[in-house]
Amino acid sequence: MIKLFLKTSLYLILIVLSLELLVRVFHLYPEDSPRFIDEMGVEKRIPNYNGFSVTGNRRQNFSEYHINNQGFNSYREFTPSYSKKELAIIGDSYIQGFHQNYYNSIGKKIENRTKDLEVYEYGYAGWDLADQLHLLQAYAEDFDKIDHIVIYMKYPMDLGRATYEPNTGRIKQLNSIPFKIRDNIKLLYYASQIGFLDPVKNLMTEKQDAKKASNTEQETALDSLYIGNFDELLKVYPINTTKTSILLDKRNTSPKFLEHCTEKGIDIIDFGSEFEQSKKPVTLIYDMHWNNNGRSLVAKSIIEHLGL
Amino acid sequence: MLFNSVEYLIFLPLIFIIYWIVAKFNNLKIQNGLILTASYIFYGLWDWRFLFLILASTIVDYFVGLAIHKKQTQGDKGKLFLWLSILFNVSLLGFFKYYNFFVDAFVDMVLLFGYPIQSTWTLNIILPVGISFYTFQTMSYSLDIYFKRIKPTHNFLDFATFVAFFPQLVAGPIERASNLLGQITNKRSFKYEQAVEGLKLILWGLFKKMVIADGIAPMVDDIFANYDTMPASTLVLGVSLFSFQVYGDFSGYSDIAIGTAKLFGIELMSNFKFPNFSRNVAEYWQRWHISLSTWFRHYLYIPLGGSRVSRLKSIRNICIIFLVSGFWHGANWTFIFWGGFHALAYIPVFLMGRNTIYKNNVVAENTLFPTFKEIGQLFATFVIVTFSRIFFRSESLTDSFVFIKRLFTEFHWEPYHHPMGYRMIDYFVLLAIFVLYEFRMRRDERNPFKFKSPIIRFVAYTLVIFCILLFYDDGVDRSFIYFQF
Repeated sequence: MIKLFLKTSLYLILIVLSLELLVRVFHLYPEDSPRFIDEMGVEKRIPNYNGFSVTGNRRQNFSEYHINNQGFNSYREFTPSYSKKELAIIGDSYIQGFHQNYYNSIGKKIENRTKDLEVYEYGYAGWDLADQLHLLQAYAEDFDKIDHIVIYMKYPMDLGRATYEPNTGRIKQLNSIPFKIRDNIKLLYYASQIGFLDPVKNLMTEKQDAKKASNTEQETALDSLYIGNFDELLKVYPINTTKTSILLDKRNTSPKFLEHCTEKGIDIIDFGSEFEQSKKPVTLIYDMHWNNNGRSLVAKSIIEHLGL
Repeated sequence: MLFNSVEYLIFLPLIFIIYWIVAKFNNLKIQNGLILTASYIFYGLWDWRFLFLILASTIVDYFVGLAIHKKQTQGDKGKLFLWLSILFNVSLLGFFKYYNFFVDAFVDMVLLFGYPIQSTWTLNIILPVGISFYTFQTMSYSLDIYFKRIKPTHNFLDFATFVAFFPQLVAGPIERASNLLGQITNKRSFKYEQAVEGLKLILWGLFKKMVIADGIAPMVDDIFANYDTMPASTLVLGVSLFSFQVYGDFSGYSDIAIGTAKLFGIELMSNFKFPNFSRNVAEYWQRWHISLSTWFRHYLYIPLGGSRVSRLKSIRNICIIFLVSGFWHGANWTFIFWGGFHALAYIPVFLMGRNTIYKNNVVAENTLFPTFKEIGQLFATFVIVTFSRIFFRSESLTDSFVFIKRLFTEFHWEPYHHPMGYRMIDYFVLLAIFVLYEFRMRRDERNPFKFKSPIIRFVAYTLVIFCILLFYDDGVDRSFIYFQF
C-alpha cells in the first residue's frame, strides 16, 4: 500500500513536470500582458509589450498581439491630428482583439477597405461603458481631433454601474500570488483556460453561483435600471452625438434601450443582421469572441453604416 | 456520480484508503459493509429515491434464492420462486423502462385499425440509472440457483454488496454470482500488482471516454441533428464516428469499472475485447458487451435450445436473442430494428458454420500485420456494424430510414465542417493512432500499457494524459451513453 502510494506520487510528479514541459514546448498557454492604471485613472496595458494569445485546446486559435505606446493592442501608434481622417473604436476584449493577429484587426480591416483613414482601437478586456466614457473624458484632447468615435457596447452587461471608479481590485487580484502562480505554471494556466478546472471551481462555488444567477435574472428584468445608469453616465460624461455611434448587436439588446437611444439622437450601428445572415461561424471555438469572419462582418457594418 | 467527475476523483481514493485500512482488522463484514455503504452513496448521489428499487430487488432475490434452494432440498425445483424473481425484476423494468413504450405502441396499433384515441396514460417516468444492469444481475443469481450452478448465500450483506458493487452497478459488466459473489464472500488482501493494473485500466478508460468518445461527440451530435441537409459523405462520416464514440464511451466505462474493482481486490469479467477487430459479425458479438451477450446466451439462448436444435429453430433462437437484446437497450423501435438487423447479419454466418471459428484467436494471431483477406474481413464487419448504428443512434425509425435513404440518394462528397469550426484533421489523426494502438494490444484487453521498458511506459502515461488535456471539451455532456439503458 505504501509502495503504491509512493510510486503513484512519484509518477504523478514526473508526469506533471513532463506535461508542463509539453505545454511550454507547444506553446499551448496564453500570455497575458501586464496591466496598470495610468495617471488619468485609465486602466490599460503596460506599453510596448509583445506576446501571443491562445484560445482553445490544441492552439485552435493562436495570435500575436502588440501593445503600442499608448497601452493598447494595435498595429499602429495613435497620433490624432485635425489634418488626418481618423476613426476611434472603443470597447472591451472584443475590440482589444487578442483573438486575432494585431495586424489583422477590425481596425486594419477597415483601413484596408477605405482610403486615407486611420483607425485607433482603444480596446481593453473587462471595460464597460463607464470605463469607455471615462476614457473619452480623460483623453478628451485626443478624441477632439478624431473624426468619428464608435463605442462597442453589450447590453445590459456594460451598463451595470452609473459611476466610474478605477478597478483597482482587478489590478490587485491580477498581481496577487495565486494569479502569479497560475501565470508561471503554464500547465495550470492552460488547464484553467480550457475549462479543465471548472468542475473543481464549480464544486467549491456551487451555492454562490446559484445566488448570482437568481440576482442576474432579477436584474435583467429591470431595463429601467440600465437605462437609468446610461443616462447618469451621459450626464457626467456627455458625448458628442454628431460624431459618436454605438456599435451593438440589436438581437441581444432591449428594444426599450434602442428607443431610448433614438430619442437621445444617438446613432446605432447594428452588426447583428450581418451575423444572422452569415453561413459561416462568427465566433471562435470554446470562446464567444469574434473569429476572423465575425470581425470582417463587424468591419463591414461600420464601413457601410458610416459611409467610410 | 460519474467516473469522469471531480466527485469521483475524491470519492475513489477516500474509499480505497479506508477500505484497505479496514482490511487490516481482518473483518470481512466491515469491509463489505464499507463497500455497500460506498455503493449506496455512489448511487444515491444521482438520485437517492431509486436506492429503494435496488434494495427491493436485492431483498426479493435474496429470499427467492434461499427459497429455491430450500425447495430443491425438498425435491421440488422451486420454479414458482424463480418466476417470482423474474416477474418482479421484469415488472420493475417494464414499468420504469417500457411502460410508455407499450402505451404508445397500443395507441398506434388501435390507430392502425382506424380508431384514433388520445392517450392520457403515458407517465412522466424517470428511468433509474442502471436498472437494466442490476435487475439482470439479481435475476442471474436466482436463475443460477435454480439451475443448480451455485448455492445461495445466507449472508444478506454479502448479497447486497454483490448487487450494488459500485464499479459495475450502473453500466456493468453484468456479473454472475459465480464470479463476483464468490469474491465478495472471501477475504481480500491488498496486492500491489493488481492495484497497479487497476490504475492503468482506469487511465486507459478515461482516455477512451474523455478523448475518443467526448472528443468526437460534438460532430456526431451535429451530423445526426442535421442529417436531413447533409450529403451521404457526411452521413458516412457521422455514423462511423458514432461507432467509435459508442465504443470509446462504453468500453471506457467498462475499463474504469474493471480497474476500480481491481483496486478493491476484485476481478470483474472483461466486457470488450477489441470488437473493431472482428472478422465477422459472430466474432463481433464475442467481443462487444460480452457480459450481456453471455447473459442472453446462458439464460435465454441455451434454455431455448441454442444451436442444438433444428436449423429452423436455431434461427428462431438467434432472432429472439437479438430482438430481445435490442429491446433491452431501450424502449424504442429503433433498438428492436437494430437487434433485428444484427440477427439478419448473424444468420448467414451461422448457416455457413463460421460463427465460432474465431472464438479463441485474434486477427493476425501470430503475425505483426493482418493479411489482405483479414483487412477485408475487418472492413466488411465494421461496415455492417456501423450501418446498424444508424438505428441505434436515430431518434425514431423515420429518422433512421430517411438517413439510410440519403446515404444512397445523396451520394456526393463534400468536406464536413462543424459549425463551431472544430479542426477535423485532429480527430482523424487521433482515431488513426487509437486504432493502431489498439491493434498492437489486441491480444490482451486488460493490459493497455504493455511495454517492457519503464521509460516507454512512463511516456505512454504522459501522452495519454496530455491527450486528455488536448481534447478536453468543457461543452460536452459527460454522462455515459449506456446510462440511458
